[in-house]
Amino acid sequence: MLLGKSFKVLVRVPSIDKRVVVLGIESTSHTFGVGIVEYHNGYVTPLSNVLSQYKPEKGGIHPRESFTHHVNVASSVLKKALEEAGLTLGEVDAIAVAIGPGLGPCLRVGAGLARFLATYYEKPLVPVNHAVAHIEIGKLVSGFQDPVIVYVSGGNTMIVVEKLSRYRVVGETLDIPLGNLLDTFAREAGIAPPYVIQGKHAVDICAEWGDSYIPLPYTVKGCDLSYSGLLTAAIREARKASGSKKLLGNVCKSLREVAFNMLVEVTERTLMLTGKGEILLVGGVASNELLRSKFESIAKFYNVAYYGTPPEVAGDNGLMIAYTGLLGFLHGKTARPEEVIVKQRFRLDEEVYPWLANK
Amino acid sequence: MASKQVAVLISRGAEAEIYLSELAGVKVVVKKRVAKPYRTPEFNRLFITTRTKIEAKILSELYDAGLSVPAPIIVDEEHGVIVLEYVEGERLSDIIDSLSSEEVVKAAEYLGDFAAKMHSLGIYHGDFTLANVILSKKGLVVIDFGLAGYSDDIEEYAIDLHLMLRSVHAMRPSVVDAFSKHMTDSYMRNYKGNGVEVLKRVAEIRTRGRYIDKELRKSIMRERYVD
Repeated sequence: MLLGKSFKVLVRVPSIDKRVVVLGIESTSHTFGVGIVEYHNGYVTPLSNVLSQYKPEKGGIHPRESFTHHVNVASSVLKKALEEAGLTLGEVDAIAVAIGPGLGPCLRVGAGLARFLATYYEKPLVPVNHAVAHIEIGKLVSGFQDPVIVYVSGGNTMIVVEKLSRYRVVGETLDIPLGNLLDTFAREAGIAPPYVIQGKHAVDICAEWGDSYIPLPYTVKGCDLSYSGLLTAAIREARKASGSKKLLGNVCKSLREVAFNMLVEVTERTLMLTGKGEILLVGGVASNELLRSKFESIAKFYNVAYYGTPPEVAGDNGLMIAYTGLLGFLHGKTARPEEVIVKQRFRLDEEVYPWLANK
Repeated sequence: MASKQVAVLISRGAEAEIYLSELAGVKVVVKKRVAKPYRTPEFNRLFITTRTKIEAKILSELYDAGLSVPAPIIVDEEHGVIVLEYVEGERLSDIIDSLSSEEVVKAAEYLGDFAAKMHSLGIYHGDFTLANVILSKKGLVVIDFGLAGYSDDIEEYAIDLHLMLRSVHAMRPSVVDAFSKHMTDSYMRNYKGNGVEVLKRVAEIRTRGRYIDKELRKSIMRERYVD
């Protein structure tokens, strides 16, 4: 549990001894979340992290349905987050909101709410990049200063390092992301939705039925990787399994093995390329146990530090937006309500982040 | 008398250990692929033998064609070992910041020429980045063909060029435009196939990354299908 614990801020922040409270809103995809952080004298304390997830009954995420979900839960999530933090909106110093990357309709719920709150309560507004927020919260709780960052979620698969006050994408998927690969396969193979049962992905559950591996395409290009060929081949094999639990289990077992090995291999290559001493795993798929164990073993192999972001902040959440908003706020990166417009394709390497050291 | 050390570990790459040794008085590099703890034994075996075999074959073909790659001397597929000529020098990724703009242009031209000749033989490198180019006394030498392969697909060739530009972008963003221009010009002069198609594919690959501006992506994709 992170709430109430204090974490030292290791990135560059101006020294002020005032207490600063930031409220963050996340609504980029299936999650609507509100988190609140308090900053004082170089330390950050998460005060609340409330969220509600849209879970499709069939198929994948339908942007309009997810939008409707967010609209329905927004006020209760916001209210609960304030209650848990024991604060009123008047006591909040700034409102942060994830403006991208994500699904347009979903993003607009958060942005609209943030603009309203900022206008009505006369609070500064801080636009936040959702991907950067995943990374910053991971860095905060791990205490890592300059890691190789592996960001894996339903919408992203990238290997990122810090350089000259920017995040640089060293490697990424050339087509579909890892989370998307697993979800689409599960759906096509008829084992989802629900995609996640008690913290375990449908593909992981299915893999337990298998006992051997089948060959599947493995595509790594330098530090980049490609999952689309693997997806097509795995779906074809799943159709061939036609109802046999064991055969389908073998497909899942192999799919997972190949997909994760590819990711670990590009991470290894980045580690060698950059000579960094830390690996930080962030994003929704960071909760996967097998993936974590593979990263643990590779970190041991190269004698580098490893940290897998804990599930409560690995998936999408409002706390990470609040914290990243706080960093922006401390550096004066605020915006007027009319300037806070959603950016569905907001890449994390587009901007300079003043809290990053100039190394 | 102390026993003479036969091989010294000089670096550990992402998939192999590199040792420096001596063979008949000549300095050589021994590249040994090792099993990884995160892979199952089946995967380890498959990786080690197939990648060693392809790498050795490609190295000898490129060397015979007169391209500047380390000469392969001994190959042992079973144990995942290749013995190569030792290339003394520094990786471009380590020294790119200290190169003058003329030197950057020269390197870009050289690498465009190298890629064009390699691709003309139907070979792609698979990890064509600054870290895999060594500046030696004899000039630039391209190393590490561990991910290389044979293909007629221009996609593979375009990925080589894309990876090189991306690595320049990551290591020294200020020179990427000049580097790109000189590398592609030199590529166009020396590639035997349809270079325009390869370069178009490079532009397309760039837009395939996540969250690239939609209009840019559309315009490039449209061009591909209209042609």
